[in-house]
Amino acid sequence: MTKSNAEKVAQIIRDAGGRVVGRTRLQKIAYLLWASGLESGFSFSYRHYGPFSEDLAAAARDADLLGLIKEYEQQASWGGSYSIYETDASQHLTDVATRRALAMKAAESDSVELELAATAVFLEKEEGHRDPWAETARRKPEKAGDGRIDKAKELYRTLQAIKTPVRLPTMG
Amino acid sequence: MTGTQHAGIDFAWLLANLEIAEIPYGVDDSPTVGKVETFILGPKAIYAAEAFVLGLFQLYPTVYFHKATRGAEKLFTELLMRLIRIVKEGSAKNTALPDNHPLVRFANAPDELENTLALDDTVVWGALSMMAEAADQTIAQFACRLRDRKLYKSIDVRTKVARHLDPNGENTDDVIDKIDLTCVRIEEKISEWTSENGGVVPRVLIDKAKRSPYQPVEETKGPLDRINVRTAGDQLVDLKMRSSVVAALKPFKLFRVYVNDNDDAAREAVDQIVKGEMVP
Repeated sequence: MTKSNAEKVAQIIRDAGGRVVGRTRLQKIAYLLWASGLESGFSFSYRHYGPFSEDLAAAARDADLLGLIKEYEQQASWGGSYSIYETDASQHLTDVATRRALAMKAAESDSVELELAATAVFLEKEEGHRDPWAETARRKPEKAGDGRIDKAKELYRTLQAIKTPVRLPTMG
Repeated sequence: MTGTQHAGIDFAWLLANLEIAEIPYGVDDSPTVGKVETFILGPKAIYAAEAFVLGLFQLYPTVYFHKATRGAEKLFTELLMRLIRIVKEGSAKNTALPDNHPLVRFANAPDELENTLALDDTVVWGALSMMAEAADQTIAQFACRLRDRKLYKSIDVRTKVARHLDPNGENTDDVIDKIDLTCVRIEEKISEWTSENGGVVPRVLIDKAKRSPYQPVEETKGPLDRINVRTAGDQLVDLKMRSSVVAALKPFKLFRVYVNDNDDAAREAVDQIVKGEMVP
């Protein structure tokens, strides 16, 4: 039997250290794993927060219902709310060290910087932009401001240094 | 054009009361990123906005997610995916379409903009009769079914489960969670059965969707993901804080299975799985 999407989501959270804060962060971790050849089965398209998979969002809901993960909400300081996903990370870790390294690094990074980095990768890989960072800053001027785009580039260099099966693109 | 008279909205009034305001926003647990300008509604448009959201809710079962519409879409999706796959494998002749047909050109080079622009409903309708004679059985059968309006039979699994677990239609959050969980289990079992009992032509097609007429939250949830209304006191509030109708709306969910009407074994298998998982 092939692994269900719900089980895949649980595995992503497990490999990220057992706790992922935020739906946006979960989406970007999954996208970067997919872009690195370390995840399959989800299709991503461009949305307001960058690469997004409807399948992944549905699978996270299913995983919560099936008890594979636990999702709960908290209030954010800016007036919204965000989800926290948790699962037992002490067992069934993937034996691919690079996958765990990428997922954990992405999980511990700032949400906005991760969104900017994942968006730039998407624009380079899926839309063929020659300068994906400039295009990212153009599409998300507020988020890219206050030096966040530079921090996103720094984060990306760390992620890109991980030797994944499909290397993340070299971008500026 | 569906002919439905549902969901009339006071578009002119909504537009006349559209305003621009600055809204704070962020991502997940980040601090406030800043403020962005967005559309809001003035205080006189609350009832028009309520009618708009309610109208959208009514359109899901009556139009957007009608079982026949979705049944045809499922067949067409399978047909198109199969066609693209076998063209890419170099077996375009098995589609019964000529090499220069727009669908074949699209399958060969989907990134070429002119190949996409060459596709429209007349191209697809015209191709169905040709594809009905394809050597590939999935393409031939599904093209025939679409041309002759002989769709797979729909089994509304979610409705069956809901009737069983919530016979009085209480629709409480606890009951909805139970219905959701049962549907997820049924879907897993059906997917398992399909992978073990698949035929040359797909025997069972699963259709699952969830749409909220209000707050279609995909990722971060906040002030930008709702309809903001400016009150008479110049405060920005969520529409559902001012409308008990909008606050009471639950997401529309569907879980249907489409089965070949000539395949009694598949239908029986689906029925047995559904019955087996419906524990009160």
